[in-house]
Amino acid sequence: MFQLFFTPEWFNGFDIIFEGIILVVALLIASYSYNIYKFSKENKFVYFSLAFVSIALGLLFKMFTHSVLYFSSLREVTAGVLMPITGGVVLFANILYRGAFFAEMFLILAAWLLIFFISQKSRDRLKKYHEVSQMALFVYLIFLVSFVANFQYVVFYLTSAVILSMTVLNYYKNYLNKNKNKNTFLVMVGFLFILASNIFFIFVFLYSGLYVVGEVFLLIGFLILLLTYRKIRKKARIL
Amino acid sequence: MSNKRRSRLELIFDILLAIQNKGGRIKPTHLMYKSNLSHKLLNSYLEELITKELIRIEEIENRKKQNISKLIHLTDKGSGFLAEFRRMREFTDAFGL
Repeated sequence: MFQLFFTPEWFNGFDIIFEGIILVVALLIASYSYNIYKFSKENKFVYFSLAFVSIALGLLFKMFTHSVLYFSSLREVTAGVLMPITGGVVLFANILYRGAFFAEMFLILAAWLLIFFISQKSRDRLKKYHEVSQMALFVYLIFLVSFVANFQYVVFYLTSAVILSMTVLNYYKNYLNKNKNKNTFLVMVGFLFILASNIFFIFVFLYSGLYVVGEVFLLIGFLILLLTYRKIRKKARIL
Repeated sequence: MSNKRRSRLELIFDILLAIQNKGGRIKPTHLMYKSNLSHKLLNSYLEELITKELIRIEEIENRKKQNISKLIHLTDKGSGFLAEFRRMREFTDAFGL
């Protein structure tokens, strides 16, 4: 069966729980950003919301493929469902997994890219036609990266790490511009953890234990984002 | 005041904040100065805020001058939104939006 890379067996299942938690955090942030959009009608909020929905969808695909790969009973059920299509030939099932991996990578890369664009301090960002056309070019590039990464997974995490490092830099500038506000610091640290997790994932081919470290860092990163969100929202709920 | 152009959200926030800072009621002319908006633009925003029940207009008859003056009041819903605006602004600042 097709697998992108090998992970420590004892950790199988824990990563799915981690991703489930991250998915909820991503949806919470997406929903609040969408609520702000509904009132302000400013595009940046709907794009930000879309980025976190994209992360959630990407994680959903990851949870699906990993569940099928880890658990034999689920694997048998999936194989049974696929039997009429594949006719017992495994190759078609591989295409399905590759398709799911592709969707996961495409959605997550698109999300990182959107967050990077939004964190850029340009007044007319995402409004003018040329900026949208630039985004179309980037969509093509992440499509290409997601396809290539199906054969060499490192490409995906390397691209993610590059985009995330630029985003962290934007958040560092934001932290300095907002008089070292505590919440801007937390968001920067959250994305720093997410960046670190992607760097660990790059080197999983050297030592599979790094996958565990990467997953833990990813979870911590999103929990820091959740903490920031909770700090902002805890006073009252009106929207 | 910063030279940066204010977004729609910031303009609404500034209008409601100006009313709140004046004890929840303000004259339209004062509001125009406090929020730093043109008469035309302020009126368009006020219409929207009235529709959303964030503010209400009180008409006061001045018998001496024989005219009717207006007073803009911040509603409870408006105060609530002002609190929510602060949270929105914190979210916007934190995530660099």
